[in-house]
Amino acid sequence: MVHAVPAAESGRAGAARGLPWTGMALGAALALLPALAGGYWTFTLGLCFANAIVILAVSFVVRYGGEVSIGHGVFAAVGAYTVALAERYLGVSLLVSLPLAAVAGGVLGVLFAYPSRNLSGIYLAVATMALALALPEVLLYFSGATGGYEGLYVKRDAIPGVSRELQRYYLPLAGLFAVVLLLRHFRRSRQAMALLLIRTSAPAAESFGVRRGWARLSCMAASGGIAAIGGALLAFSSSTVSPNSFTLWTSIFLLVGSVVSLYSLSLVGSLVGGIFLTLVPLVLAGAGNWVPILYGGALMAVVLGANALPASVRRRLEGGHA
Amino acid sequence: MTDLLGLVWAGVVSGCLYAMGALGIVLIYKSSMVVNFAHGNLAGLAAFLVFGFTAGILGHMAWGAAVMLSLAIMVGAMALTYLLIAPLVFKSDLTSTIATLGVGLIVQGLTQMVFGSDVVSLELPLPSWRMALGPLRVSAYDLAVLAVTALAVGALYLLIERTRVGVAFRAVSANPFASRVCGLSLRRIHLFAWIVAGLLGLVASLLIVPTTFLSSTSVAAFMLQAFTAAVVGGFSSLPGAVIGGIFVGVLMNLLSFYVAAEFTNTYMLAIILLVLNLFPRGVLSARGGARV
Repeated sequence: MVHAVPAAESGRAGAARGLPWTGMALGAALALLPALAGGYWTFTLGLCFANAIVILAVSFVVRYGGEVSIGHGVFAAVGAYTVALAERYLGVSLLVSLPLAAVAGGVLGVLFAYPSRNLSGIYLAVATMALALALPEVLLYFSGATGGYEGLYVKRDAIPGVSRELQRYYLPLAGLFAVVLLLRHFRRSRQAMALLLIRTSAPAAESFGVRRGWARLSCMAASGGIAAIGGALLAFSSSTVSPNSFTLWTSIFLLVGSVVSLYSLSLVGSLVGGIFLTLVPLVLAGAGNWVPILYGGALMAVVLGANALPASVRRRLEGGHA
Repeated sequence: MTDLLGLVWAGVVSGCLYAMGALGIVLIYKSSMVVNFAHGNLAGLAAFLVFGFTAGILGHMAWGAAVMLSLAIMVGAMALTYLLIAPLVFKSDLTSTIATLGVGLIVQGLTQMVFGSDVVSLELPLPSWRMALGPLRVSAYDLAVLAVTALAVGALYLLIERTRVGVAFRAVSANPFASRVCGLSLRRIHLFAWIVAGLLGLVASLLIVPTTFLSSTSVAAFMLQAFTAAVVGGFSSLPGAVIGGIFVGVLMNLLSFYVAAEFTNTYMLAIILLVLNLFPRGVLSARGGARV
């Protein structure tokens, strides 16, 4: 809460700049990568991009809502299952079901945030925890539709005629670009200013006619929608969805990814989070029990490290946005 | 009707344990404004320590010695947890709450590394005595839970109401700034709250084990009930936490018997969302206005 004020003030200048060169260069490099790297890396990076989108959704809640969510795996799951179910029952591909997924995520965000719209953020955090724990039960209960423990496959190509490996790489990448650009644009909107104002001072915002309940709802709706897009692309890239990939731990790990990226809403930041989240379990595949310790250690190190830095350095590290 | 009474009785018994978990969460939140998401993991580790000391992984001790040693380790663990997040506590409630998740992950990993991720059985040294009291079937376990809860809650009540540190705790949770001006050490009170919460968590997790089982995630999952109890009680009221715990215990039992048993966590979510709508400040709204 304390460092929100300077961030909100300097954010305007940061967002007014054009696209940063680092982001553009990185984007170009990533677009050319499949020509050089093998199938393993394009597959893994596709998952990284999809995870990065979900991490952006978590960071969005922290930045604009000033709240912590440990249930974003659920919104990702809504997106993923929307894609899988749309393919199974309607026979449509990702390009058609992606907007549906985003809407479903947004609607769930609203439904879920509504009861706690006027309350302090701790209730939201606890409720997201319950949401994350409840999801597997619900998925298993409706196993006729959701495929139970085994889950569902996502097989249909989104763009006919393009090799599947490339689709699974480029679609999440394009999604990540789109979400980052959208968030940059959003930063300059009236709604973003209203959300930041309410974070900085709720009484001031109320006197300008911005209601706290509305801020909470719109924030969760946008974040739920983004997370669902990420989940949909995750389902497409990994070609399966199952309850196992959306447990409470998934949601907590997503928060770890967001913390490691310093809640950044930029391309570089979210990629750092996404790569951390996707690659650490792969690198440490042989040492399963070390993964939570490493994640927890990384979270503590980043949080405590960022806290130890002087405020000006910290602001620059966080990119000066939102 | 017989079913109903039995279910309510069993619900009250498990509700007492949720209440003890919730009391810890509320103690920590009231004093330091941090929601301790590591509470379940820490309590789970404590139960595993008792298991390790009695079952031969870490030693062969008598029950009393094992519990005492685990209590001592728990004091250290809670103090260490608080010291880890201490630099953040006064700066941002949000960041310190996130940091407790980091602690939780580390504790979870440690538990799995030392004790494995298998389900183990931990038998409490209780007589296998039971009797029928009208429609109720009362076992030694039930009475032990009720007695321990009464003892713990009573001791906590005396501690908060009658001792100097209790007065200081109430002062700090009512107005931290004024307490500091009066020369109270906020850190010391925070540390007190964290340690007491950890001890309550250890007792609760030990007593919950016979009804479920002990695995590296079971106690962490049980803490959702404690969080729900805290929400029902308003999150900053100690009596509210106790009432919330018993309410959650009874309601859970009734729902899983009369509706469906596989929705434990979904019921919790529904209770949380319903309570937030009907009683935004908890069923006992002692302190008006939540801190934003």
